[in-house]
Amino acid sequence: MTRELHTLVCLKVVPKSEEVGVDRETNTLDRANARSEINPPDMNALETALALKDRFGGRVSLMSMGPPFVIPTLRVGLAMGADHAYLLSDRAFGGADTLATSLTLARAIEKLGDVDLVLCGEESSDGATAQVPPGIATWMDIPQATYAMDVDFEPGQRHLVVTREVRDGEEVLDVPLPAVVSVKVSCNEPRFMDTGRFALLDNEELVTTWTADDLGVDREHLGLAGSPTSVAGLKEAAQASGRRRELVSGTPEEEGKILYERIIEFLRGAGTRGQEAPG
Amino acid sequence: MIDPAYSPQEARGIWVFLEQDAGVLAPVSLELLAKARALATESGAELTGLLVGGDLAALEATAAKLDLDRVVSVAHPLLTQFTAEAYAHAVDQVIRTQKPDIFLLGATAYGRDLAGRLAVMLRTGLTADCTDLALEAGTGLLLGEVSGFGGGVLATIRCEQHRPQMATVRPGVFPEPAAADRAAAKVERVNVDVPAAKCLVKVVARHRKTGVDISRAERLVVAGAGARGEMPNIEALAQALGAEIGATRVAVDEGWAERERQIGQTGVIARPKLALVWGASGASQFTCGIDQAEMVVAVNQDPEAAIFESADICIVDEVAPVVKALVAELQSHGGAE
Amino acid sequence: MTAPTREVLLLDDDRWDRVLLATKGEAAACYQCGTCTATCPWGLVAGPSIGVRSVMRRAQLGIDGWAEAVWRCTTCGACEEHCPHEVPISDVMLGLRSLAWEERSVPHGLSGVLWDMHWDGNPWGRPPSARSAWANGLDIPRFDATKHSVLLYVGCTASYDRRGQKIARAVVSVLRAAGISFGTLGDEEPCCGDPARSLGNEEYFKRIAQANSHKLAAERATDVVTVSPHCYDTFTHYPGIGEAFRVRHYSQLLRDLVAERKVSFAGLEPTKVTFHDPCYLARHHDETEAPRTIMAAIPGVSIEEMERSREETLCCGGGGGRMWMETLPEDRFATSRAREAAGTGASYLVTTCPHCISCLEDGASVAGARNLKVMDLAELAVLAGIGAAAPTEASR
Repeated sequence: MTRELHTLVCLKVVPKSEEVGVDRETNTLDRANARSEINPPDMNALETALALKDRFGGRVSLMSMGPPFVIPTLRVGLAMGADHAYLLSDRAFGGADTLATSLTLARAIEKLGDVDLVLCGEESSDGATAQVPPGIATWMDIPQATYAMDVDFEPGQRHLVVTREVRDGEEVLDVPLPAVVSVKVSCNEPRFMDTGRFALLDNEELVTTWTADDLGVDREHLGLAGSPTSVAGLKEAAQASGRRRELVSGTPEEEGKILYERIIEFLRGAGTRGQEAPG
Repeated sequence: MIDPAYSPQEARGIWVFLEQDAGVLAPVSLELLAKARALATESGAELTGLLVGGDLAALEATAAKLDLDRVVSVAHPLLTQFTAEAYAHAVDQVIRTQKPDIFLLGATAYGRDLAGRLAVMLRTGLTADCTDLALEAGTGLLLGEVSGFGGGVLATIRCEQHRPQMATVRPGVFPEPAAADRAAAKVERVNVDVPAAKCLVKVVARHRKTGVDISRAERLVVAGAGARGEMPNIEALAQALGAEIGATRVAVDEGWAERERQIGQTGVIARPKLALVWGASGASQFTCGIDQAEMVVAVNQDPEAAIFESADICIVDEVAPVVKALVAELQSHGGAE
Repeated sequence: MTAPTREVLLLDDDRWDRVLLATKGEAAACYQCGTCTATCPWGLVAGPSIGVRSVMRRAQLGIDGWAEAVWRCTTCGACEEHCPHEVPISDVMLGLRSLAWEERSVPHGLSGVLWDMHWDGNPWGRPPSARSAWANGLDIPRFDATKHSVLLYVGCTASYDRRGQKIARAVVSVLRAAGISFGTLGDEEPCCGDPARSLGNEEYFKRIAQANSHKLAAERATDVVTVSPHCYDTFTHYPGIGEAFRVRHYSQLLRDLVAERKVSFAGLEPTKVTFHDPCYLARHHDETEAPRTIMAAIPGVSIEEMERSREETLCCGGGGGRMWMETLPEDRFATSRAREAAGTGASYLVTTCPHCISCLEDGASVAGARNLKVMDLAELAVLAGIGAAAPTEASR
């Protein structure tokens, strides 16, 4: 008899993109007025996990790194059908880049001991690096499959069949477990939560909080201290607060010309930087 | 602080990953090359291109003609098809011996997979999905500009103590270089060890994109009710921009586009970088389908049209002459790739 | 999934219980006469008509495909008007939708509507901080029970949809012309919960209703006036309705103002108008006279009734959560409705619901009824120069 599948989903609680700006005085991120949500592709990862659970049974755990105030948002994942949530919360985790973040998550997953499949969203809406899933896989020294559109499981063989998106098409991978899989945003439709369960969940029972000491990782390898990269500067992109609504007018020919210039500028990345377009 | 694989003092040169698939170089690798050459000229560094694959004989010849000082070629039968573990294992060995200062990759599925694994193996920093690269005055450190929060915030990232300084760069950010007029670069073949234990993932099938899926389109040209009679021009525009065609419900009802191209509440929620919207009124059932676009251009002859509230660039004019003018501009400049 | 074999005809007790529970036992009174099927507006369009009795039967038997018809229902209530046993068929359909959620037989995109309500507080996925943008420049005060008699509840569609916003602004002009003291909850206005209820998530709706009832109590709002009949209907399902607060559609308030001669209209050039009764006023709340009383008070307006009017009205197709589902052009009731309206010779097709406006404008465009202008009654009132009533002869 094969052991039941234990899937762990990494969820990141992020501020809603449209409500984050840059504080012009301190040049730091201003999230004061931002509402939180679960990073959208992470919702797709959770739906993938729950769909596997519907078909093959097993357990789904959630893991998130963040301050205790994200617990109410994690409850959403539990109300969708996850069995337990682990919150990694410690000042020592703060300021982590992808290297330190993926190390922290990997060590926490290893502490659970019996995780077969780690599911993540392709990237986070705040950092947008897409490097944490490969990072976790590397720290754990297990295979990875990223940008998955579809994840199927062969219970007898404990393999996944993953259809993933690559540059000019799709690739179907055979992935032995344990493995890390990241899924594309909107690859499925996350089920709506059970609002009755959402209201009645017992945080004490269903959410376990771990600190740096629980993970037994050298504090020098965590958070800001363990991050080789640092932020040298920060600024708000032009379209940060709503749409720009710039009016372009002239003869149709002039409008076409200006439009062309704006489009090329934007596509070369200059549109958000206010620099001169190369070429 | 985690110990780096090697120190900044030992590190030399700028490397670019020459991503290839079935013997064809990825366009982003060429785009990177022009930027990397500029950085190399500024710092006086040597520019190296890294080829990885199964049989690289033909590609070595192609790469030698690029604007590179040196090509490092890593061939192994188990590297014929890209798999993240095997590629990372092979490249890790080369990097540890040759100790580049900067290593740049395209932010494609393969480039991001390789970079993510490699950065952890080398215990170094990785600046992902850059929209610009520069060298910091004084220190010569690599500065990568990245955007977060759906493009709302721009940050500049650097990596002071760890080497190589790694970055992935978005496709389409830098223009492709003109053909280089220089002596052929020296090709250096390097042997690596690829154990079967690092080849657990198997590629069982590959297929090219079929059917329409505008939810993943990077660029969209969207027809609304006001685009009546303009579909040939809308299609020409999509072609010149390398964009997919999307449509409002009215345009789909009119039969101007297939139902799977419908954008909005009852269609597709699109997430393109660029959306050009022609003659749409801007009902909320539609705009919720383009709210996540990075940049929206709207053309509508009604100055009161709601679509202008959801647009970055607004043109109050008839659809026909403006779309024709834009197509003409694009064609005279050879498109917008 | 159970295959439709002979075995399933042996009713599974558990399934039978679930259907009964989901429909609150209301369907038990159905004796399969088929009147519902004959009166369903789906019979007018290309798509298959909804056989309510067969839907029930299939759901009870667990036969595949029953959910499809349940999702097509617009809860217009046309069938209920004629049901000899007065089965509340719309409620039965909503109950069966809850079963469809359990079985995950739900059209694409509807989970997203509920998620938008959860994260953003509205079914359109727009930021709450933009909720009151419709009122820019109108200087509408935040509701304060010590100063205002009426809480104007705008609703999500009239707040965020550009066409709906114009209706909201017209309603504001009407209230101001009548000298009503009112305020809104601004960006704090919550969704009334209609999408949750009409998409069959009764549990979620109850939680929203509970929370909103507390909010209304905290605001000490006792007289709520809505822009949309859907919000109006939804509030009538709240705990505390009729005790802690009352709710009216704005047309009902305006009817009273007209009857009490507190407002008058400058009038229009002679104009033929026809009126489309929204299902959620005419059938679900028996309100058919208010709009006619108001229009009759406008000098110059003559009402050309459509054959299907009052409680016999033809649904626009936007109720029962259909606003969040796609309807193919050949299946849209509104196209046939727009033709019927154009056939009366009216220049204005007037109604009192933002969803109806949206569907009917689309219908008029598909039907090619270019001379027919679709407008809300509040917009007609503004066009007709609504104002405080002129002093009567006696008071001079």
